[in-house]
Amino acid sequence: MGEKTPFDEMYNPDGSVREPYRALAEWLAEQPDKGLALMQTDAEAIFRKLGITFAVYGSDEGNEKVIPFDVIPRIIAANEWRRLSKGIEQRVKALNAFLYDIYHRQEILKAGRVPEKLILNNEAFCPQMMGLEPAKGVYAHIIGVDIVRVGPDEFYVLEDNLRTPSGVSYMLEDREAMMLLAPDLFHRSKVAPVEIYPENLRRTLESVAPDSARGAPNIAVLTPGIYNSAYFEHSFLADQMGAQLCEGPDLFVDGGKVYMRTTCGPEQVDVIYRRIDDDYLDPLTFRPDSMLGVPGLFDAYRAGNVTLVNAPGTGIADDKAVYTYVPDIIEFYLGEKALLSNVPTYNCTDEDQRAWVLENIADLVVKEVHGSGGYGMMVGPTSTKAMHAEFRKKIEARPDNYIVQPTLNLSTCPTHISGDVAPRHVDLRPYVLVGDEVRITPGGLTRVALKKGSLVVNSSQGGGTKDTWVLED
Amino acid sequence: MRIEIDHSLTFSLPPDTAQLVMHLLLTPASGPSQTVESWSIEAAGIGNAGRFRDGYGNAAHLVNQTRPDGEMRLVARGVVRTTDTNGVLGRKLPDEPVPTLYKRVTALTRAPVTLYGKFRSAKDNRLDVLHGLMARVGETLGLAEEAEPATQMQATGEQTQRQSAEPDSDLPPTIDYVHLFIGGARALDIPARFVCGYLAPGDGMAGGLHAWAEAYDDKLGWIGFDAQNQVCPTERYVRLAVGLDAESALPLRTVPIGEIVQEAVVKPA
Repeated sequence: MGEKTPFDEMYNPDGSVREPYRALAEWLAEQPDKGLALMQTDAEAIFRKLGITFAVYGSDEGNEKVIPFDVIPRIIAANEWRRLSKGIEQRVKALNAFLYDIYHRQEILKAGRVPEKLILNNEAFCPQMMGLEPAKGVYAHIIGVDIVRVGPDEFYVLEDNLRTPSGVSYMLEDREAMMLLAPDLFHRSKVAPVEIYPENLRRTLESVAPDSARGAPNIAVLTPGIYNSAYFEHSFLADQMGAQLCEGPDLFVDGGKVYMRTTCGPEQVDVIYRRIDDDYLDPLTFRPDSMLGVPGLFDAYRAGNVTLVNAPGTGIADDKAVYTYVPDIIEFYLGEKALLSNVPTYNCTDEDQRAWVLENIADLVVKEVHGSGGYGMMVGPTSTKAMHAEFRKKIEARPDNYIVQPTLNLSTCPTHISGDVAPRHVDLRPYVLVGDEVRITPGGLTRVALKKGSLVVNSSQGGGTKDTWVLED
Repeated sequence: MRIEIDHSLTFSLPPDTAQLVMHLLLTPASGPSQTVESWSIEAAGIGNAGRFRDGYGNAAHLVNQTRPDGEMRLVARGVVRTTDTNGVLGRKLPDEPVPTLYKRVTALTRAPVTLYGKFRSAKDNRLDVLHGLMARVGETLGLAEEAEPATQMQATGEQTQRQSAEPDSDLPPTIDYVHLFIGGARALDIPARFVCGYLAPGDGMAGGLHAWAEAYDDKLGWIGFDAQNQVCPTERYVRLAVGLDAESALPLRTVPIGEIVQEAVVKPA
């Protein structure tokens, strides 16, 4: 990994264009001077009009920002996608089987394949979930798998997001914007549609309604409210699915069932796509000081009268320390080798590995076990000596709180940078829906680090997004 | 022994409470040590309650009330027939989670190494270790003189629950004995759980609401240990609910939260 040139998804080392990018290369060559810059200005206007904004915590300059959008799409070939989606499907099936086992007989712990203490004493493990039978046996219905590419055939899963992954609205809006900006480009290539996502989400949610639900299940999206960084997405998805957007106080329990207050009186709710964290979901069962949740909601769930999507306690399967065991988890439940590789991960609680990590910290990536969104992490090669020293201290103080990985040389894609086209590092988050079947939207969200050389793609850390194309045969 | 139980819980509501939601663990289950002959819960809204099993296998009720009166009163009463099993309950019952769940250390169940350290290298079998641990908890927290009442129960955390008449004693509350025993057992890699229940008076023990621990032995299954009274449960003990600690086995949790006063009259039927 180290110093070598990153894999360029558009150009071969000899300067020729890779097959999936051929149509795009022709199109780029035809664009007049300032063509891309004009398009970028139009894109900005489209996103403002669509109202797609996100909140950056701890930033002073206005709460709402438009996420930077790059006008050059990222392209994945049909055969590349087939391989990826097979690997993703395998992964989400195994992780759901793992969750079922952990909350029932715990065979994988008995077999010693995953350390007992890592699960039982984990904060993300939810003892209240023991013995519960979720509809269709599914715990994590909506999953975002973060994938990076380092070579023509080399993909790694960076992390699995099984709590409440966000960003899917950007995937949809990026496509909409791209079709408005460059309709002619879509005539030159056969691009797999992503617009089907809201319909698939609705089908997935309906398929996991409790058995007691009569007729078409009533679906609600539960949001923490307008101050949440992803509020736009919550309202967007509710709107696209034709579901009600609710806040905690809009819902109440009565007789062990959940109802929504409406202008026509109470209406029973069968499935709740909740975008509130476990801790805040229900003050009767979880944090008593939560003002966001619905008192009694979890008990109504246990009584089998409502389905929570995703189930509480799914975080145990995407815990960064559990991540290292995912290849074993796949083998244990499916009897297959993992199709997608994990990033090699160093365990700092092991003395030898820790010593090596502390020595080589300038070349490594350090992540907090419970961190997310790019907060609490350090990328060695782009950090200062003071930062290295700070993280050395942190690891020594709490070795179990960090995982350490080599710095991956993420692939690059051509990106529009002030009138010019230059390579920038990207990652990929495909969105997976699990209900009566597994539905994977072709492509996903490509995040791009707009700063030259930067490997951090999070929008909270100055990253942008690209429309992601999966070509059809 | 047939034991008659009359357990009342009163709860003063904050003014202008629009919605009261309650989570009840007030239904004892029949098992190896006890048979529930009759049982009923009186509470406004109980007829309409959501009924389910919680993660620990307890029979639970979800009760709600709109615009409740200023004071809420619940009564659970019934008759339970018990047999003396020397505290042994046997292997996992159908609705119970796997015993290993009860190795999870919670904020309330941390024990100092000075408590359990000497058992770590002990060659004794698990049963002897557990009896040793029970004695050690008694030495650590102190034991009452003969016939000192053992009825006080107080849960720390967000919600306090206690009996109306607290015994006059310098000793720590019952749940401290239970949590310390559980913490010690879990540190020794032995599954241990919190039991909330009732105690019929006699054998030098006062009756009422009570709490004790159960630990798991691979051969015998679950075995009860009452460190406060230094005995394994006898036929005077009635199990009501189990959990990881006092908080997860509380007979009543409410939103909004407030102080709950409990009183249990327990006597041979």
